[in-house]
Amino acid sequence: MPEAVSVLAPRATAETPPLPRRLTVWLLLGVLALVPAVAGGFWTYSVGVCMANAVAVLSVGFLLRYGGEVSIGHSFFLAFGAYCTAIVERELGLSVGIGLPVAAAAGAVLGIVFAWPSRALSGIYLAIATMALALSVPELILQLGPIAGGYEGLYVARPLIPGVSVDLQRYYLPLVVLALVVLLLARFRRSRQGLVLLTARDHPRAAEAFGFSRGYARLAAFAISASIASTAGALLAFAASTVSPNSFTLSTAIYLLVGTVVSFGSLGLAGALAGGAFITLVPQLFAAWGDWVPIIYGAALLAVVTLGHRPAEVLAALRARLGGGRRDA
Amino acid sequence: MSDLLQDLLPLVWTGIVTGCLYAMGALGLVMIFKATRVVNFAHGNLAALAGFVVYGLTQAGGGIGWIAAVLIALAIVVLLALVAYGLIARVSEASDLRGTIATLGISLVLQGVVQVVFGADIVNLDLPVPNWSATVAGLRVTSYDITVLAVSGIVIAALFLVIERTRVGIAFRAVSTSAFASRVCGLNIHAVQGLAWGVAAGLGVTAALLIIPSTFLSSTTVASFMLQSFAAAVLGGFSSLPGSIVGGLIVGVTMNLFSYFVTSELSATFLLVLMLVALNLFPGGILPQRGGGSRA
Repeated sequence: MPEAVSVLAPRATAETPPLPRRLTVWLLLGVLALVPAVAGGFWTYSVGVCMANAVAVLSVGFLLRYGGEVSIGHSFFLAFGAYCTAIVERELGLSVGIGLPVAAAAGAVLGIVFAWPSRALSGIYLAIATMALALSVPELILQLGPIAGGYEGLYVARPLIPGVSVDLQRYYLPLVVLALVVLLLARFRRSRQGLVLLTARDHPRAAEAFGFSRGYARLAAFAISASIASTAGALLAFAASTVSPNSFTLSTAIYLLVGTVVSFGSLGLAGALAGGAFITLVPQLFAAWGDWVPIIYGAALLAVVTLGHRPAEVLAALRARLGGGRRDA
Repeated sequence: MSDLLQDLLPLVWTGIVTGCLYAMGALGLVMIFKATRVVNFAHGNLAALAGFVVYGLTQAGGGIGWIAAVLIALAIVVLLALVAYGLIARVSEASDLRGTIATLGISLVLQGVVQVVFGADIVNLDLPVPNWSATVAGLRVTSYDITVLAVSGIVIAALFLVIERTRVGIAFRAVSTSAFASRVCGLNIHAVQGLAWGVAAGLGVTAALLIIPSTFLSSTTVASFMLQSFAAAVLGGFSSLPGSIVGGLIVGVTMNLFSYFVTSELSATFLLVLMLVALNLFPGGILPQRGGGSRA
């Protein structure tokens, strides 16, 4: 099967990224590292939240790229990570340094628990189940009772490193974690497991011939994606210093997908930042016209999806991004 | 024992009444899926828009008759559904996944339009039927129940008659079996698919107008009422029209029982668990179809 061979063979795009691209990443990280020094408190806060949202966008993008699945339920894992961090701090008195790893690990388990029942079924069931998942988040949070703080939510105030300005920590922790996640994703693309997931997505039979079932691929993709989303939730809780049921609705989950699509499903630093900034800054810039925000998002989503259909170079770019550079054969 | 029966009977009855409405919503979703392989996440938003148009025309300063308002709303929504289909038909040829994402874009735009035009208020919208109720064998039956059962019965019967007995129905079944083969045979598949979208939108509007009196209307509630319809469609296997009716009735009755005997604050969670359990017990839906495409 020539197709399968082209998937499994290492490709030029799968090797170490070319120098200019690596330079861009380092330049971007350098600029981001300098933001708190030059910008005011408001922008430092906003860019911090952008970077936390960028990690969330990556989690949805990961599932889209490696699982070929649409999720509009990632607000569940986001909320899980955020509340995990807040509850670890309030009940155990431990900072986000413990809360974040706990959230990431438990998020992966939760992802498997959710994906297991539909592992053998086609993707529409998963998409609809994620919609139910998103709608159940506020209900479940309120059911937790006083431990989750009800409608008011909880505060996340404990600094990661005592004695250093908390505002700076709220900025730099998301930056460091975002850089780490992007780095890990780049390595994952070149790893054996990454190839397994991509093969299972496009050529399930070829993957099965190599001993990896479609069900395994679905679970693995979902577990990793859920783990990234929980990490993003912990970052969001820390960067915004508060969690409440209102921030994790169905709209939140759909907006994450919007962020992924407008960044053309990129799993790189620049793309993720663009997606994160889009979903963070548009509501802020259009605060006076709040009702227009869904229209802007919907139009952006439609524009990217329909323009991507034009047989122009846009399509080639989108394919290369969405398909991880595998469909152009 | 008879006490339990006293509780149970009204719950099952109202469950069946709302279940018919979920079934109607699910029928629209399944028709769209069968015809175009797209899961239409904008279905609820289209229906909500119709509810608001009727509200605006009859109550908020419009003042025209109820039937005229419903017809205008129906025309607007069917037209919008055709526009949505036009947008999605171009996209979903590339991949079903992209078509489904596009419906999410449409649903966001519609939700925003409703908020901009009608505001984010919660409004009430009643049916113009006389307030009447009777007690039959210890069961309280209202005029609302009778209206819902009659309308949904007639609409669903007409739909099945058209699909089973007319040329249009045969064309729809042909396209849903194999769009490619239908095109080879000279069918205008865009016309058939557009028709499916239009009819589905009409079904959604009918269901929404009937369910709004029992809840209320806001820019987001009808969209989330559609979750029940999605659950009904999933239970039915997502490509079986009779299955989605059975699914609708099951969702209606079990949700009623759950919210009465357990809690009314976990309805979305209950539907999630119901769907996941049903998917494992009946991987192809309750009424599996040959070649329905529900398995991966």
